[in-house]
Amino acid sequence: MKLAPVDYVILATYFAMVLGIGWMLRKKVSTSGDFLLSGRAVPVWITSLAFIAANLGAQELIGMAASGAKYGIMTAHFYWIGAIPAMVFMGLFMMPFYYGSKARSVPEYLKMRFDEKTRGFNAFTFAVMTIFSSGISMYALGLLLHLVLGWNFSTSVLATAAIVLAYTYLGGLTSAIYNEVLQFFLIVAGFAPLAILACVKAGGWHGIMARLPANMTHSWRYVGSAAQNPMGVEIFGVVAGLGFVLSFGYWCTNFLVVQRAMAADSMSAARRTPLVGAIPKMFLPFIVILPGIAAVALAQMTAAGGAHLYDLPVKMAGGVLVKDYDQVLTTLMAKFYPAGILGVGLTGLMASFMSGMAGNVTAFNTVFTYDIYQSYIRKGAPDSHYLTVGRMTTIVGVALSIGAAYLAQYYNNIMDLLQFVFGFVNAPLFATFLLGMFWKRATANGAFWGLVTGTVAASLTWGLTVAEGKGGVFGLVHTFPSVMAQNFWIAIFAFTSCFLVTIAVSVVTRKRAESELEGLVYGLTKIRHEEGAKWYERPAVLAVSVLVLAVILNIWFA
Amino acid sequence: MLDLRVPSGWFFTLLGVILAGMGLFAPESRAPLTDVNINLYSGVAMLIFGLFLLVMARLAANKSR
Repeated sequence: MKLAPVDYVILATYFAMVLGIGWMLRKKVSTSGDFLLSGRAVPVWITSLAFIAANLGAQELIGMAASGAKYGIMTAHFYWIGAIPAMVFMGLFMMPFYYGSKARSVPEYLKMRFDEKTRGFNAFTFAVMTIFSSGISMYALGLLLHLVLGWNFSTSVLATAAIVLAYTYLGGLTSAIYNEVLQFFLIVAGFAPLAILACVKAGGWHGIMARLPANMTHSWRYVGSAAQNPMGVEIFGVVAGLGFVLSFGYWCTNFLVVQRAMAADSMSAARRTPLVGAIPKMFLPFIVILPGIAAVALAQMTAAGGAHLYDLPVKMAGGVLVKDYDQVLTTLMAKFYPAGILGVGLTGLMASFMSGMAGNVTAFNTVFTYDIYQSYIRKGAPDSHYLTVGRMTTIVGVALSIGAAYLAQYYNNIMDLLQFVFGFVNAPLFATFLLGMFWKRATANGAFWGLVTGTVAASLTWGLTVAEGKGGVFGLVHTFPSVMAQNFWIAIFAFTSCFLVTIAVSVVTRKRAESELEGLVYGLTKIRHEEGAKWYERPAVLAVSVLVLAVILNIWFA
Repeated sequence: MLDLRVPSGWFFTLLGVILAGMGLFAPESRAPLTDVNINLYSGVAMLIFGLFLLVMARLAANKSR
């Protein structure tokens, strides 16, 4: 792919723009709360778009197109049965406790509801996870830019990291959130035309259906047995593993996204954040997954001369040629985008990378400053001290991510493994929150030992099973039809064991006085109903509309 | 507080002008599989979106004054 001067102009304008927004917001930062929590003053349309943009990193974008080409429309399960119900649950039932408890982070809520050790466990795993995810995604971007444009790996990694550092250092979380909204618009502007062009060229949805095997164009019809669908999963794994445990674990407990909602300017706005965000979120598959599916159809079509319109990218792996699905998105761009819109598409890719990275860095910042530094290293310092620590942590966080990116470059397999582990490490956490928020009898020791057991159960399930020739480090008990199925089942075991152990230990340990749990647990918390709010601003109305839309989409593409 | 609609409105207006300009003055610039003047169409769409954001921001500013 070759860029024209106009493409560079567009890219440069975007860089100037994000830095400019950081510069304009620099004066808003005078306390650690301003820097790390946005002073809880961001309007709801901004928090809700940032909520979904923080999750829409470059890896997500590349990965969704890749999965679209590999698994077809079933990939949309990550949205229509995964993210959407979880986001609705979060807005309706969990946000009142997060926002109402005045906790500054998810680990801090755990400290208020349970105890110090539960918070410590969560804060440390989360901090390590954000650094590695940010590094892995940086590595993926550097590799892609090198492959597609021949840019130097170090230059592109260091330059993009420097820009993210500059604008988050200047304006803190507010700057990250504001830029995430701009980045979200750019991702849509850069990739919606590609989805439309590719889909039209492939003959529309009907043309795609005619060319692809039926199990790639139906999301539900073939989930009865793992052997029938390209993902190798069966319906219980999809609904319980992905739809319930993994998605609720991610969207309801991952501070990276929860932090966006907590920055909203009122309880009502905080609750509406995931609900409003769910509306654009459920249509994202049409932009991020559809190009991948259309690519498979295009690969079967021939031009007048008899040549294929498009060939799925391939790479050498272990001496044989295999499909390189990760390059589907960029090769499609090269086929469909002339100079000009190509610059916008590339900028969109950069924007997605930056929004993902800024999300990780700002979440790491807050958790490190409040939950690790203020709790274990230096308590009771004046606020200005923590503001300085927050700023320094931004620099350290970016530096550590760069380190992780280089580590990924040298130890590719370890990074694959880490990424796989991150896929289910949050799974037991959702059981802890569910019991913590809705069962006042759950105790601190119950939560801690439940979490530990859940994490051990996840590791054991992973170590004792094999999927696609991988795993089985501790022995072989069961073989899964696919890595995806393995991941779903690990999550199910992790959740169930955490849930049961938390209950068992809670029953035999001393319960906390109810007066200490006010504002933290359902039944002991007054949830204000917004009588004055306009009907479309009420969480319940929004939630029902979102769910109805999601059901329609599921049925439409069933 | 900074109204985000102002900078992003200007940004998309500028992008729209660049792309629509490309579409008008270099309409023959096509990638292997593009059949339409995609620069023109997406440029116009971005221009409309950018102007829409600017108008919304102006209305909000007038209201609060």
